[in-house]
Amino acid sequence: MFLRLVTDSFGRRPRRKLLTGAALALGMAVATAALSVALDVGDRLAKEFRSLGANLLVTPQADSLPLEIGGVDYRPMNAGAYLPEADLPKLKTIFWHNNIMGFSPILEVPVVASAAHDHVPIETPGNFTLIGTWSDENVLIPDGTTYRTGIAKTNPWWNVEGKWFGDSHQCVLGSAFARRFGLHTGDRLNVMSRTSEGHAVGLSLDIVGVLSTGGPEDNGIVASLGTAQALAEKPGQYRRLYVSALTKPEDAFAKRDPKTFTPKEYDTWFCTPYISSIAFQIQQELPGTDVRVIRRIAEGEGQILTRVRTLLWLVTGMALLAAAVAVGASSAASVIERRTEIGLMKALGAGSATVGFLLAAEQLLLAFVGGGTGYALGIILARLLGEKIFGVAPEPTLLVFLVVISLAAAVTLLGSAIPLRRASLYDPAPILRGE
Amino acid sequence: MTDLPANNRAMFWRIIRRLLSANRGRLFVMLLALGAGAAVTAALLNLQVDAKRRLTTEFRAFGPNVIILPKDSSFSGSETLPESTIRDVPRQIGNAHVAAKASLFVIATVSSTQSEKSLSAVIVGESPRLVGWVSSRPASSTATGLPSTPAGTICTVGGRIGRQLQVVQASELTLSNGDQKEACVSAGLAESGGPEDDQIGIDLRAAQRLANLSGRINVIELTVPGTPAEIQSYIVGLQRLLPDAGVRPIRQFTEGEAKIYNRISGLLTATVGIVLLLTALCVMAAMTNVAMERKMDVGLMKAIGGATRRVLRLFLVEAALLGFAGGLIGAAAGIFLSIGLGKAVFGVAARPRLIVYPVAVALTVIVAILSAFPLRRLASIRPASVFRGEE
Repeated sequence: MFLRLVTDSFGRRPRRKLLTGAALALGMAVATAALSVALDVGDRLAKEFRSLGANLLVTPQADSLPLEIGGVDYRPMNAGAYLPEADLPKLKTIFWHNNIMGFSPILEVPVVASAAHDHVPIETPGNFTLIGTWSDENVLIPDGTTYRTGIAKTNPWWNVEGKWFGDSHQCVLGSAFARRFGLHTGDRLNVMSRTSEGHAVGLSLDIVGVLSTGGPEDNGIVASLGTAQALAEKPGQYRRLYVSALTKPEDAFAKRDPKTFTPKEYDTWFCTPYISSIAFQIQQELPGTDVRVIRRIAEGEGQILTRVRTLLWLVTGMALLAAAVAVGASSAASVIERRTEIGLMKALGAGSATVGFLLAAEQLLLAFVGGGTGYALGIILARLLGEKIFGVAPEPTLLVFLVVISLAAAVTLLGSAIPLRRASLYDPAPILRGE
Repeated sequence: MTDLPANNRAMFWRIIRRLLSANRGRLFVMLLALGAGAAVTAALLNLQVDAKRRLTTEFRAFGPNVIILPKDSSFSGSETLPESTIRDVPRQIGNAHVAAKASLFVIATVSSTQSEKSLSAVIVGESPRLVGWVSSRPASSTATGLPSTPAGTICTVGGRIGRQLQVVQASELTLSNGDQKEACVSAGLAESGGPEDDQIGIDLRAAQRLANLSGRINVIELTVPGTPAEIQSYIVGLQRLLPDAGVRPIRQFTEGEAKIYNRISGLLTATVGIVLLLTALCVMAAMTNVAMERKMDVGLMKAIGGATRRVLRLFLVEAALLGFAGGLIGAAAGIFLSIGLGKAVFGVAARPRLIVYPVAVALTVIVAILSAFPLRRLASIRPASVFRGEE
């Protein structure tokens, strides 16, 4: 009988139920879309922030102070320490290796250059910096896999017209350098360096691209790390390493000195991708280095990420609230209007509990159907949103589904509870008389 | 004859009053649904405008984003600009302030009187100079502030160079470049992870004396707030203003920020748009549901001779009134909500935009009227069947 009453109620007034259901489904679609986006946005935005480039800088511990003005190091060639290139694959073996988005070693060599355009020599007076780095390097990781990384990942604002250098006989030229001497892709550049031992090393390079960075590199030459090592006679060595890592914004806990942690706190810190813990892990893997957080980037990023995340959670909260109120109002209205029916049932001898139970069952059924539909609709919306903004759709999660369904159930029950309570106080007779 | 329309009007409003007050519960429910919709609309619209503006300010956490260099500078530090250039830089963009800092670089020998160590280092003369590392450096650098009684010029010492020289706060340093000598007192060490860690910052005048380059600077760093488009047009304008210098964006930040800004503002717009649309639909569905319960009333009015159009008009006016009331209350609540939310997110209360209020109210009225429209379907009902309880 109970089931029949419920199905009858749906069958008798399908349009009405459809409308309540639609309100529910739309409300829950808002909730689902907002929740899915808010849950996903932190990771997505953290990736976007990597377009600001590296947030960690690795230098040799024993290094002398660089005397660098505007990208030109005035130190003598033999000053300063170097780091072994062979250690680099170890970066991808740290605990947070999946958060390392890219790294590129740098070795700078002061050179003098001369060029040839269509076999006509061009004088290029002055000293220039040749930056040796990886353009797109296949790094063999100790676990047997390979990892592609290079300067394009750590410095994504470096634009190359033409292509990046492929082997050690190619180079890209800074745009200011190229403009100043009228050099183009396809020309040849001869570079010569004076090594610490005093003898000269010369190389001939093909210009394969023109680089514009908006920085001092525009006046320099960028070539493979091997080229720079040959010119500096420092095989297998580099001087600086830029690492771009996905991190969690630092909170009050992360700002504490790791030395003051209890063992448990230390584990938490170590197992959270804070920039300080990633820096610490890199330092452990690369002995003899000094790993510094580029604060300008890391902190700006953390601050903005935290803000945007809070903002989105607030928007989500408001969306949930509005959906809940509207849906609650809708179910309240549907109970209010059924006073006659309730009166009749009570007149026929149904207790308040039975009536309440019957209506609750109806509302719950509606909540599940409406909530489910709303969830599906919301997921589609979230996918569209995600793909439009980040190019990647958020994964549907069980969590959102559970939250949305329980929200739908809670809201419909709450919405109908208040009018139901009042209905249970009514005397059936006046209601049936229409008073 | 003239009394009739007046009578009609009085009756019209009387019915409306009765319609509204007949069922308090229903009135409350409708106002609640409409009010919630209006509140969310007003809060989101207000917050969205404010958040975008606030974001561009947040991006300044990254520090300077535009630099002015000597024309065709090879960045080698040998070319200089006259110091007066900084006076020609417009300091206002929209309502926001452009921060500017002029620097001169010198390589000098630094020696510490206390530890008797000395080495060569890059000295940066900065103007205007804020002691501590607040000017262009990120907030959490570990500046320790002023020594209580400065004995000479104050200098800020980078973390790495400070450790090598064994400098502590209030250590005395001597900077020398050829015959030129300057003494200064360390204000403490600072770690920024940038090139500042290897440098010593002093007053611009002192650096100019040290380098024998009075009135010259190497570079001006500008912190320009605003959207990527505003920054771009500022750069173009500034280049026209300073034909003898090169104005360039620090592409790492301008490009990265532009990308992130577009993403975040797109995200906000899309989320707000979807939330508003769905909220409107949701409120509309809820309201329609309520309106449909009016079948009895419509049937009665038709039975006693009301024309369908007039009956319908009654209900539309009722809906509009409800929408207006709900909108007024809800939008006001929403604007207050957004002020609080702005404070929670950005630490600064969102400025209420008055235009948001009428927009939110108007939207609510439209939603309310639209949701009463399905009543038109009731025009076809036959009063008798309604009273018999048939569909």
